[in-house]
Amino acid sequence: MALLASLMPAAVRKRMDHWIALRNPPSEGAIHLYNRRLYILPTRFGYLYAMMLIVLLLAAINYQNSMAYALTFLLTALGIISLWQTHRNLLGLDVDLKTPAPVYQGEHLELCFTLNNPQQNHRYAVGIQYLNQVPAYTRVEAESEASLCLALPAIQRGLYQPAGFILYTRYPTGLFHAWSWLKFNVPILIYPQPLFDHQLEHSLMQDDNGKTRVDTADGDDFAGLREHRSGESLRHISWKAYAQGRGMLTKTFEGHATPSLWINWEDMSATSIEGKLSQMTALVIQAQLDGRKFGLRLPGIIIDQDTGSAHQAKCLDHLATYQQKNKNAELAVDAE
Amino acid sequence: MQNNLPIDRIAEETADRTSIVAVSLSFLVAMLPHFFNLPFWITGFTLFALMWRGAQSRGWLWAIPRWILVPLVLAGGISVFAEYWTIVGREPGLALLTVMTSFKFLESKTHRDILILVFLCYFLLATHFLFGQTLYIAAYMFGALIFITTTLITINQREENIALSERLKIASRLIGLSVPIMLILFLLVPRIPGPIWGITQEQRGGVTGLSETMSPGEISNLITSNEVAFRVTFDGTVPRQDQLYWRGPVMANFTGRTWLQHKHTELKNLNVGQTGQLVQYTITLEPNGKNWLFGLDIPTGIIEDSYMNNEYQLTSDKAVNDLKRYTLSSTLTYQLELEESLDYLLLTSEYPENSNPETLALGQRWAREYNSDTEIVNAALSMFRNQEYIYTLQPPVLGRHSSDEFLFSTRRGFCEHYASSFTLLMRAAGIPARIVTGYQGGEYNQVGNYLIVRQSDAHAWSEVWLEDQGWVRIDPTAAVSPDRIEIGLDQALNEGLSSFKIANRNPLIGKILYSWDNLQHSWNRWVLNYDQQKQMRFLSNLGLGIRTWGDMVIALVIGLVLITGSYWLISWYRDLPERPADYEIIINRLLKKLERSGYQRKPSEYLHEFLVRIEKEQGYQDEDLEKIFTVYNKIKYARGYQRENVIKRFRQLSQEWRLKQTT
Repeated sequence: MALLASLMPAAVRKRMDHWIALRNPPSEGAIHLYNRRLYILPTRFGYLYAMMLIVLLLAAINYQNSMAYALTFLLTALGIISLWQTHRNLLGLDVDLKTPAPVYQGEHLELCFTLNNPQQNHRYAVGIQYLNQVPAYTRVEAESEASLCLALPAIQRGLYQPAGFILYTRYPTGLFHAWSWLKFNVPILIYPQPLFDHQLEHSLMQDDNGKTRVDTADGDDFAGLREHRSGESLRHISWKAYAQGRGMLTKTFEGHATPSLWINWEDMSATSIEGKLSQMTALVIQAQLDGRKFGLRLPGIIIDQDTGSAHQAKCLDHLATYQQKNKNAELAVDAE
Repeated sequence: MQNNLPIDRIAEETADRTSIVAVSLSFLVAMLPHFFNLPFWITGFTLFALMWRGAQSRGWLWAIPRWILVPLVLAGGISVFAEYWTIVGREPGLALLTVMTSFKFLESKTHRDILILVFLCYFLLATHFLFGQTLYIAAYMFGALIFITTTLITINQREENIALSERLKIASRLIGLSVPIMLILFLLVPRIPGPIWGITQEQRGGVTGLSETMSPGEISNLITSNEVAFRVTFDGTVPRQDQLYWRGPVMANFTGRTWLQHKHTELKNLNVGQTGQLVQYTITLEPNGKNWLFGLDIPTGIIEDSYMNNEYQLTSDKAVNDLKRYTLSSTLTYQLELEESLDYLLLTSEYPENSNPETLALGQRWAREYNSDTEIVNAALSMFRNQEYIYTLQPPVLGRHSSDEFLFSTRRGFCEHYASSFTLLMRAAGIPARIVTGYQGGEYNQVGNYLIVRQSDAHAWSEVWLEDQGWVRIDPTAAVSPDRIEIGLDQALNEGLSSFKIANRNPLIGKILYSWDNLQHSWNRWVLNYDQQKQMRFLSNLGLGIRTWGDMVIALVIGLVLITGSYWLISWYRDLPERPADYEIIINRLLKKLERSGYQRKPSEYLHEFLVRIEKEQGYQDEDLEKIFTVYNKIKYARGYQRENVIKRFRQLSQEWRLKQTT
């Protein structure tokens, strides 16, 4: 199939893709695999098998050997049965894609599918593949559900739609390849890669001078870091410091009113757009961790100061899609 | 299964150990019967290659690098050539295929290699049928096919570990579903008469049967084989046992010890001088690797691709390497070649002067003493009959003058001793004589109404040429042991020879053996001989109006559509989500019955409310219906009632229930 596709002229390829897209419209919910959704072609081994059958038939004719005829016909029948069984291995499945949790650029995006088999037949070795990525396989028992996850690299920040998935099987004999093109209307959100910059963070937070430092994990204002003591809540561990390899440190707070923070586009030290966005992402994460009230100022966008995870998500959302031209672009997995 | 490549590159994946072990076992299963057909070194090399590859997959041995492998492959090819001095033909071809497949094992790395090996295993199965097509072989191959298909599933299961028993079940199901399609294809695919390319004429080794020469002891070796030589179906009555002489190779040249076939020519016209009725019969001949076709006594015609030689032996143009079936008619009373050529008469009167002096002297004395040839023949027969000659399967070993020793000192011999000495005596007496080998008798199978002729029925007799009678059959063995001819070998010998005759067994076992032989015979007749002619005849007898190729193709398409369509329907039905429970179906039927009687249950109505309404309108208490409804509620809502016997009783109750007619 891939071989066929690579041999096709670009124009034919384009028409083919158009045809495929027409027949397999993006779905909001679960996709039911019925006859019109399923395609089947012989694999390379299927063609090899067919060649072997022709040689066997010629031998049977030449030697006028009844048993050789019988064997040839039995193997031919096996091919026909394989065609049907391979097709049947997918027929009647319901496939759904859950909206994936947003990830930061550079991490792995986990796309999890639910394969529901309402029928009485077992399905074995059902694979799913996204573009040229490594496929994942599962089996679906009779009248049950299975979940199948693909881990895809999150290469570029932004809001995406997944391109078509290929759900396929070659079970049981590998002579045929049955597949379906699945397209789901599911938003995939990739936040910018956070870039932690201690200096920048410090300069932005310098207005909290003159406060009494209290060595406590409870309080409102961030006071500093100290060695983690066992038994303390994990909520106050500085994961940023941990990520930097400084070990487990507990954030200490001062018991005064939290000063609010504006994360300004102009304040960022990086020069590139992506760099600035990365720094702002890191600040959003840090501010949220600190429980600080924060707002966001991007060119043309102002998000008022607030707290809470919904607020954080909103901010990250804007950072992710900032200046993204096509918000419905298909998720790419190869760096261009 | 290592799974680190996208689908379009699955073929390049490194094969895992399970696949390698599975395909190695498949190869062994596919090869096993061939190990008896192949030279020892090939079997050894095959096993070596499999073991090396197995050890390699466990990491005990390294992969043999290509620069060593390539010269080895060449050496393997040359070795096969050196073994047979050719690489075409059945055995050399098989040897080459086996050696190259073994190399492929050593070289195999990827998923692709393994799949190619599986296909080679499938291919190897077909090669067995060139060596034999008996029911046993077919059954073995069917089992092997399921095994190889299991391997194919093992390779394609990806990283799932489906249990072996489950895989075997799946493979059996696949093959089982394939069988009806195979039958349709087998019956309806138009047969093309072969061969397409030339088949090398090779003689089969290891086939038991008559030999091209006859010397003392050769036929008695055959007697211990219960293999079937051929089976015969007669049109009409079967001739008497003592008339069943199945003519085979005729021998006219004598070296003093061994009889040889004379270089014969094709007979231009038959001079049979036939009188009396012809016997019509059909022979199913097992492969004998020779050009010989056997016929009863003197056949009066020939069959396709054969000729009659000048010694009245029916000869095939090609060696009989496959089962052959032909219909002939023969005569039992005849005057054969009254005008035999002088050259041939001279040839059949020759004998070496320097061996068997006593035999020659006796023959020459008879020639002086008796007036006619008939008297000489009778003198010889009465000598065998009246003197102390013994018919035995274990005669003493004879020296240089074998005939002299036999006739005058040991006097113990088997049919070839008698035939040989008799023929030499006749020649010494100036009567043209020759040896005829073949089979005598046969066992009648009443289950299938045909005659089984086995290798153990092999026999040798004489023919003498008498001036006014032509070639006359004289069986000296009959003079010594009439039982051999009239009853059969087993009784005649009485030497504790294990009996091949089914008739001698216990009647019940005999019945089973007859049926089994009949099954083999039917297999031969119907399955193995299903050629173009038979196909046409079978299909036109079906009465479906299939007469031409076009009809066949249409029937084939219809057949395939019907079978695959029914498969599809059945699986569609079986795969459907579970149907309602039995008790629901039963109660619905009952409610339908009530509906027809005019009582429709309202959607919101409880069964017992419904019952009360019915009883009110009917005007009596229906205890049966009440019971049914109670049982239904119990089955549905109470624990422990969903048992088979409860549901059975429930079904019975509701089926028996009738609305009583109110008066």
